[in-house]
Amino acid sequence: MVRFAAHRLGILVLSLVGASVLVFGALTLLPGSPAQVILGTQATPQSVHHLTVQLGLDKPLWQQYFDWLHGMVTGALGTSYVSQLPIGTQIWQALQVTGPLVLLGLVIGLVIAIPLGLFGALLQGRATGAVLGAIGQVGLAVPTFVGGTLLIIVFAVEFHVLPASGFPEWSHPGSALKSLLLPAISLGVVEGGIISRYLRTSVLDLLQSDYLRTARMKGLSMGQALRRHGLRNAMLPLVTVGGLELAGLIVGAIVVENVFTLPGIGTLLLTSVNNRDLLVAQDIVMFVSGTVLVLNLLVDLSYRLLDPRLAGRS
Amino acid sequence: MNRLGRGAAVACSLSAASLLAAACGGNSGNGGSAPAASPGTSGASGGGSLVVASAVAPPTLDLTSNPAAAIDEVLDYNVYEHLVQLDPKGKVIPVLASSYTTSPDGLTYTFTVRQGVKFSNGDPMTPADVVFSLQRALAPGSKYPYAKLLSDVKSVAAAGAYQVVVTLTSPNNQFLYDLAAYSNGVVLDSKAVGTIATQPVGTGPYVFQSFRPNYSVALSRNPDYWGTKPGVSTVTFRYFSSSNAENSALQSGQVQVIDNLENPQDAAQFKGNSSFKIIAGPTNGKIQMTLNNGSGPFSKQQVREAVAYATDKKAILQSTGAGYGTVIGSDDVPGDPWYDPSLANTYSYDPAKAKQLLAQAGYPNGFSATLTLPPYGYATNAGPLVQAELNAVGIHTTISQVQFPLWLSQVFNSSNFQMTIINHVEARDISNYANCSYYWKFAGCNQVASMLGTAEKATDKSQEVAGFKQVATLIAQQAVNDFLYNPDQVTVAKSDVTGLPSSGLTESFDLANAAIGGKVSAAASGQGYAQ
Repeated sequence: MVRFAAHRLGILVLSLVGASVLVFGALTLLPGSPAQVILGTQATPQSVHHLTVQLGLDKPLWQQYFDWLHGMVTGALGTSYVSQLPIGTQIWQALQVTGPLVLLGLVIGLVIAIPLGLFGALLQGRATGAVLGAIGQVGLAVPTFVGGTLLIIVFAVEFHVLPASGFPEWSHPGSALKSLLLPAISLGVVEGGIISRYLRTSVLDLLQSDYLRTARMKGLSMGQALRRHGLRNAMLPLVTVGGLELAGLIVGAIVVENVFTLPGIGTLLLTSVNNRDLLVAQDIVMFVSGTVLVLNLLVDLSYRLLDPRLAGRS
Repeated sequence: MNRLGRGAAVACSLSAASLLAAACGGNSGNGGSAPAASPGTSGASGGGSLVVASAVAPPTLDLTSNPAAAIDEVLDYNVYEHLVQLDPKGKVIPVLASSYTTSPDGLTYTFTVRQGVKFSNGDPMTPADVVFSLQRALAPGSKYPYAKLLSDVKSVAAAGAYQVVVTLTSPNNQFLYDLAAYSNGVVLDSKAVGTIATQPVGTGPYVFQSFRPNYSVALSRNPDYWGTKPGVSTVTFRYFSSSNAENSALQSGQVQVIDNLENPQDAAQFKGNSSFKIIAGPTNGKIQMTLNNGSGPFSKQQVREAVAYATDKKAILQSTGAGYGTVIGSDDVPGDPWYDPSLANTYSYDPAKAKQLLAQAGYPNGFSATLTLPPYGYATNAGPLVQAELNAVGIHTTISQVQFPLWLSQVFNSSNFQMTIINHVEARDISNYANCSYYWKFAGCNQVASMLGTAEKATDKSQEVAGFKQVATLIAQQAVNDFLYNPDQVTVAKSDVTGLPSSGLTESFDLANAAIGGKVSAAASGQGYAQ
């Protein structure tokens, strides 16, 4: 297990370095000079040049890359050259919106997916099972921004129950949670649809498995057999999909934040790309890729814990 | 937002959830009846919190180093003041100067600085601060976005009896206007300028409270303001990524004002509803199809005239601007003293004539051209219309949509374009036509430069106006660019909000007179998040 973990950790570090090269390269290749974008149409060529030098954007690319990498590793993210605010603080503030939003979305997704998937499989062949399957499909098919807009029209504009958009600070926990509810639902419904499909298939496989039949032959009831032998096996695909979908949720959050104008990571990323605030954009993309890579590592490791059979193979 | 208001909102939400919508919802309802002005909000001249929805968030708070209009919109005139400012009609009025005089030769301006004015941090505002601020704008390496407008300032100095004297190297009739209109003129506290990007300090009717990047800027009424204090205790500008979100926020009562509709067509959903009012007033903007005069077919005047004849400006204004605006024919707008409405008819819609001119110019079968569009509502809406009209006369047009940074580098910096649609928002920017390296590469730039030079130095007001009018006429006749229209600022507000700007002639969204009449605002009643 330790050797396996060390091996995986090595791969993680290599992937992170690769990601950093890609992120830096892609954002540096974006057309449009940051200094020109900051200074706008009234700027003289001299002032644009002056600012370019001041921002260090005239240095060779490799030097800019290592300066950035050095800042990332030492935690000195520096100051955004557009907003003149510390980048670390900006990302941390945005995370306080996106983090809870993604977690809430995942919880809502699981709350929807587990009964849908489980009963959809157990009731397969009956009308109820078909209806449950169809509900999952609908959740999958409606794009987040359409669902979100519909939720706003119903709950905010018509009934004034929940805010249409925005986010107060966490110093008002009640209103903060309320304003995350609609966005989390729009995220969670889609995720719930996806996860329920996987879960349904996995439970169907399980129901036809030899070991479950053996367990039943030993005299266990269906419920006992599922609880003792079935669930742990059904968990495996759920963990895989859950891990992958958490990454998907982070990406989905970018769209949802736009619909609900939440000041989260997605909004920060979009505006920093539009303003050519390259350092902020690089740091965010790096942070998101890092999170996804770490999640994948955790999924791999938890596999081993859930399924001792895998321990023998490497 | 006060504690009481929030409590009331929660109670209301619960009852609304059980479908007692009558108590909380309804057409004009927005979170139930809140207690009248509560202790926290009632100030010297009444209470209430105003939340204003806006489309573009300020990238930073430092208006002296970044040209983003969103910074000036919030901070200029509201937090910062100038010696002279513009009134809603675009007229120069004294503000931090109690009076000013101009020498007969037009070279010396003497401002008497208002006494007893304090900055929001308690520091007194003195002539030394005024001198400091103007010299900061003038300094070599100054990052002030409009610093080049000060190029003819020779010196700034304090004089006896609370006066500041500015001398110019040559007369400039636009000097006071520029000082009033642009960030060059803001008076800063010389002791607090270090925190300008995080904690702006000014003398205005509002005090800066907080900034949440990409989300909101909060201001509160300045309790020590030297003039008439505003009628609301707090103002929050909230930024929305889409116009849909802005409209929902106004309809659900989260905000009370949308500063300027990005898509004026959206006004239809508020029209005829007594809960809302629409305030439309002129801006300095010129939405124009810029033509690259420097190369290709558009270097020929006949081709440019053909473009002007081929496009139906009235139809474009109706469809893109929902009729909110004025059709213009040159780089002048109704707010300019030299505005000439007849120029709009220089080349009225006449596709047959356009075809004829194209044939005369050597393009009997037309030609192909690309229309580059920046990602703004007016451009992406007007683009397909213009494309269809140009196709109809034989200019086979392809649309290329680009992000703004790319537009800046490709179109604006490298003149690597044929046609583009852009709103030139700056006031009185006709001098762009005197700049030979400006992106549209106008061949008559030197002629315009000498005409403007004469007009700017004219000691007689009518001579000056006549001079500018001549330039505007020349630009119209040579069809340098295809001027589409001068858009209005279209503000939508809850009907009980008063004192909102009646025009968009200033960069500031001036809320010095804002008040919420009668009832307490929706923000104080709960659904809105003021912070």
